[in-house]
Amino acid sequence: MLFEMAWRNLWRQPMRTALSLLTMALAAALLVFMLSFQLGVYDTMKSNALRIFDGFARIQPPGYADDPDIRKTIADPEALAAKAEQVKGVTAAAPRATSYVILANGERSYGAAIVGVSPTRERRVSTLATTVHEGRYLKPGDSDAVVLGDALARNLKLKLGDKVTLLGSALDGTIAADSLTLVGIFHTGIGDLDRQVAEMPLGRFQQSFAMGDTANTIALVGPSLSAVNAALPRLDRLATANNLVVEDWGGLQPGLKQAITLDFSTSMLWYVSLVVVVVFIILNTLLMSVLERTREFGMLMAIGMRAPLVGRMLWLELILLALIGTVAGVILGGGLALWYGHAGIAVGAFEGLMAQWGLPGRLYPTLSATSALVGPAVIVVSVAVAGLIPMRRIRRLEPVKAMRAA
Amino acid sequence: MQPDTSESRAPGRAIVACRGLSKIYTDGAVEVRAVDGLDLDIAAGDFATLSGPSGSGKTTLQNMIGGLDRPTSGSVTVDGEDLSSLNTAHLAELRLHKIGFVFQAYNLIPVLSALENIEFVLQLLGVGAKERRARAASALADVGLAGMEGRRPSHLSGGQQQRVAVARALVARPAIVLADEPTANLDSKSADDLISLMAELNARSGTTFLIGTHDARVIARARRHIEMVDGKVTADTTGDLADVAQ
Ligand SMILES: Nc1ncnc2c1ncn2[C@@H]1O[C@H](COP(=O)(O)OP(=O)(O)O)[C@@H](O)[C@H]1O
Ligand SMILES: [Mg+2]
Repeated sequence: MLFEMAWRNLWRQPMRTALSLLTMALAAALLVFMLSFQLGVYDTMKSNALRIFDGFARIQPPGYADDPDIRKTIADPEALAAKAEQVKGVTAAAPRATSYVILANGERSYGAAIVGVSPTRERRVSTLATTVHEGRYLKPGDSDAVVLGDALARNLKLKLGDKVTLLGSALDGTIAADSLTLVGIFHTGIGDLDRQVAEMPLGRFQQSFAMGDTANTIALVGPSLSAVNAALPRLDRLATANNLVVEDWGGLQPGLKQAITLDFSTSMLWYVSLVVVVVFIILNTLLMSVLERTREFGMLMAIGMRAPLVGRMLWLELILLALIGTVAGVILGGGLALWYGHAGIAVGAFEGLMAQWGLPGRLYPTLSATSALVGPAVIVVSVAVAGLIPMRRIRRLEPVKAMRAA
Repeated sequence: MQPDTSESRAPGRAIVACRGLSKIYTDGAVEVRAVDGLDLDIAAGDFATLSGPSGSGKTTLQNMIGGLDRPTSGSVTVDGEDLSSLNTAHLAELRLHKIGFVFQAYNLIPVLSALENIEFVLQLLGVGAKERRARAASALADVGLAGMEGRRPSHLSGGQQQRVAVARALVARPAIVLADEPTANLDSKSADDLISLMAELNARSGTTFLIGTHDARVIARARRHIEMVDGKVTADTTGDLADVAQ
């Protein structure tokens, strides 16, 4: 009967209850939508930034992250890549060898990171091949071919078909020197890649740098970043068995991770303010009705209802209000997020944070359990906790005084 | 809580005993002796009125007997229970089990129907749903409101609301029903009907009634008349209509 009473009490002031519900529903909807949008944008940013080159995770020798030395190698990388692809949550793995070298064209020379790749495997991990706008990407059977970022090609004044000289230090301490033919120029839009990266066939790289059959890293992707994140423990086991380690996306793109963390903490401030405002509005409404009904509470206590039970009834009213309001909000906000998740939201040119990671002009909110439930849950819990404040008032109520109240 | 025993409520035995009972309100420097060293016994089966001018202490006395208010000094015993030994929660229990209240107004829970208002008390007592419904319906029929089970208080007349309150006060078979100005808001016909009803229920069930009132027609229907002035009992007579008619 307590539940029944609480429910009916809610509708004694239908207008007031409707306004409270609306407040909570709108706040919850806003939280759901904003969070879906924000997390969706982050996902896009991460995927875009990681898919171009790094991959969602990477297997590499211990210490490689801090000091990417060509002498830290992976034996039999082909076999390990094949094994990694068997891991649930991983769809493709690409072995790479990397070294910092001087690329030269006649008088001109620039420092660059040259990456040895297996073209077929590489295409499945990195979208860099799709950004080649002049010439072509590497293909199986290539030997002395190289692709460069457009800024690097411009700096070296290279055209397709030109020879590029490579100078570096090989694994055995000798000088690695090679002459390669420029077959393609890519433009990723990410400055560092376009200015500093060159790719050549892994086999030729291994010869030039005297590294036998070894590689330095294995880049991994899956159907989504979260799938690969979920696969991290399994990958860890595989890596450990080979005396290697796994680097997750945050390690591959620390700047992006930091930027997202910062952006999220800023918006957190807004979310918290929103919740606080909602809680105050609801609490105020509750206090109003407590004051109006003091006489009735006195009567209830007089006929033998104990004060804590009266308090519980009132708290139940509050919880019902919060639940109905937030459920409506989840439906509303979730619906909007789903709709725009299909249609996308057109956005103009981005500044700062977003431009830096090359976001598309249309963004898609992604509704997830997190974005749908965290905000509303925080509202319900906050209201429930804040609702305990007026309960203390009820517990101290004396029936005689309460019944005298005007 | 002691179980209700028919022996302790045998007619004539004191169901309420007040000894040296005082309630003093201090309002700044002013001291109001609302109830002043009062001794009073109410016997099981009594149908008594508590009369006196406004401010004479009727409500204060009833509140102390009903365990709603604590005395400044002196003691109240209800159905063998010394109220001063009970904490707040136990007082609530006592009110639930042993006292039936009928107030002047705002007796009923507005969101519950007539039947549910009565059931509510039984639910607090832990009575199962089926028995609850049956007992509440019969209590409602006893006050002449059969057929009104589903009506909310706002759809009942003032007299009907007070009848529901009487039914609710009686449903837990209390040791005493304390009614404080139950007819004050009623027209004379409804007031007459209500007091007749209470007299009839007292006669039928033997439930003890103490009715605070200054309505002469109510006083005329009682068997015992307790008069208060300035917190003291000034007269306590038992007799029929004729004795108090002057
Ligand atoms: N809570 C209180 N604080 C101060 N004085 C009170 C309080 N309750 C009652 N009184 C005073 O006690 C006296 C008795 O009041 P009450 O018992 O209500 O009388 P009655 O019911 O006979 O009209 C009155 O003078 C009243 O003003
Ligand atoms: Mg009074």
